[in-house]
Amino acid sequence: MSAQAADTLEAGKRPDEKKERADKIDFKMVTFSLAGKEYGIDIMNVKEIANAGRFTYVPNAAPFVRGVYNLRGDIISIIDLRTMFHLPAERKDDDSLESLLILRVDDHAFGVIVDNIDKVVGVSSAGIQPPHPIFGDINVKYIKGIIENQGKLYIILNVEKLFAPKDEEPEQEMPGLRRGPARREAPEAAAVSQAPASAPGPAADVNAEFIRETLFAFRRFGVSAVNEEWFRARYAEWKGIRKPTDLQLREQADADAYLETFYSRCTGELWSEDYADAVVSALPKVESRSINVWNPGCGKGYETYSLAVALRRAYPEARIKIWANDSDLLAISMAPNMVFTPENVPEHYVDHMVKGRNGYTFNQAIRESIFFEFHDVMNSNPVPPVDFILCRDTVSFLSAADQGKLFGDFCEKAKQGGAVVLGTNERMPLEGWRRVGEGPAAVYVRTA
Amino acid sequence: MRVEYINPFVESAFNVMKEVLQADVKRGELYLKSTSMPVMGVAAIVGLAGDVEGRVLFDMDKPTALKIASAMNGEDITSMDDLAKATITELANMITAQAVTKLHELGFRFDLTPPAIFTGDNMEVSNQDVEALIVPMETPQGKVEINVAIRERA
Repeated sequence: MSAQAADTLEAGKRPDEKKERADKIDFKMVTFSLAGKEYGIDIMNVKEIANAGRFTYVPNAAPFVRGVYNLRGDIISIIDLRTMFHLPAERKDDDSLESLLILRVDDHAFGVIVDNIDKVVGVSSAGIQPPHPIFGDINVKYIKGIIENQGKLYIILNVEKLFAPKDEEPEQEMPGLRRGPARREAPEAAAVSQAPASAPGPAADVNAEFIRETLFAFRRFGVSAVNEEWFRARYAEWKGIRKPTDLQLREQADADAYLETFYSRCTGELWSEDYADAVVSALPKVESRSINVWNPGCGKGYETYSLAVALRRAYPEARIKIWANDSDLLAISMAPNMVFTPENVPEHYVDHMVKGRNGYTFNQAIRESIFFEFHDVMNSNPVPPVDFILCRDTVSFLSAADQGKLFGDFCEKAKQGGAVVLGTNERMPLEGWRRVGEGPAAVYVRTA
Repeated sequence: MRVEYINPFVESAFNVMKEVLQADVKRGELYLKSTSMPVMGVAAIVGLAGDVEGRVLFDMDKPTALKIASAMNGEDITSMDDLAKATITELANMITAQAVTKLHELGFRFDLTPPAIFTGDNMEVSNQDVEALIVPMETPQGKVEINVAIRERA
């Protein structure tokens, strides 16, 4: 491939983002209440949610500044939104915990006290109405818009405007907060921050909810019936690994760490002989001389080659056709000409390889049995009826609605008695499929 | 669309446009599209048949088409006359033919249909069930989108 072509591919790396769909949920907000009214803040501005109390008082600060707080070593200012908006606030006693939203505006983090944090709501940004001047107790310039969702009206606050350094009101106070006093009182704040470490019951569920949302935001991982079981087990495990104050996923690296145990065996490499045997022996026997396979989300193509070889070994005489596709242009364009070194591949593959100029590649018979396609499974899938569908760890990286659509396509494309191979930690959520594989080989046979 | 088909189209579009326009041509990000899409004003279409079925569509707005035709002919063309249409058709033919030649060398068998050109406002092209690869090209004359929809014969 020429250098020029290579950077074309680089440029086309994220083609899926260009998809257009009507009425899609493209705006997520964390909702909360202030004085009995519902409000929302764009989830991209919310770093995390927390329960905390006993803030360190800062003398001579604006009335709405409740103090500073040590959030794992970062000193952040705590703003009471109710005081800021002149709303009635019940004064809790000193030891009780307040519900906090930790917001991120540019590079600064702020803690914001609200009455109650509710949940994350996904809406279509097209449905957001501009604020009406007579609306609410809050200055209109701080309101991004109003949205209706399931019978409730949410006022979406404009966090940038509220906390922008240029803004008149908070601006005068905020920089002062980050100077001397905050730093000097930091040790005390650090000691206090131990107290709220044990978050109460309901907040734990909010944490799990928040992780679901951030997994999707960072890695487009959609928690649903497909992977709920794994998600719960992982959440329990996660609570053991991370400190209670450090549960939420704040950046992509956290999301990756959380997903570490999700991936199936032999992801990103050729399947080991025992895994390949486990999968193929679980698959129902095919009587016909021709075997059709669909492999959506094949990535770089390792699993496609692995299955092609495994099927070739099990059915030496059959005509095998695998339609492998992925929407990651960079990964899929390497797949047809993948080069290996024989020392690094499990032994049983070497018989199916030939030596080329740059190293070993799979032989003509294997390569001709696979069609690698640049294709988005959310568009129409033009594959013929197939005996097997190999789709490991792909469905989970779609939104719940898209997962449903893809499973619908599976039902349409799989022959009667055909089988689907899902990821090790994925479950078939539909009726009419029976699990046959053991352990890591998640094979489901179609019964209806 | 099969991975092997992508590069020949991208490369030949780039090479041919650069050569005939004698100018700096830039590629945008490639992406996939399934739904019907509006046509900017001038669309040249070349059909493909053989191992596959499909078509390649070259889409641009009218001022761009006129500027490209002017640049290719070395004279000022101000209306969408026969010469302008013939020039755009020829551009489509050159790019597709070069891509198909490259694919022949890789062992794929394609035949071309003669190009056809469509002009007008508010046009839309839809291909049911075929996903299209969009290759956007930025030229000094304006934006040209190359829309490749190919599928294997079942």
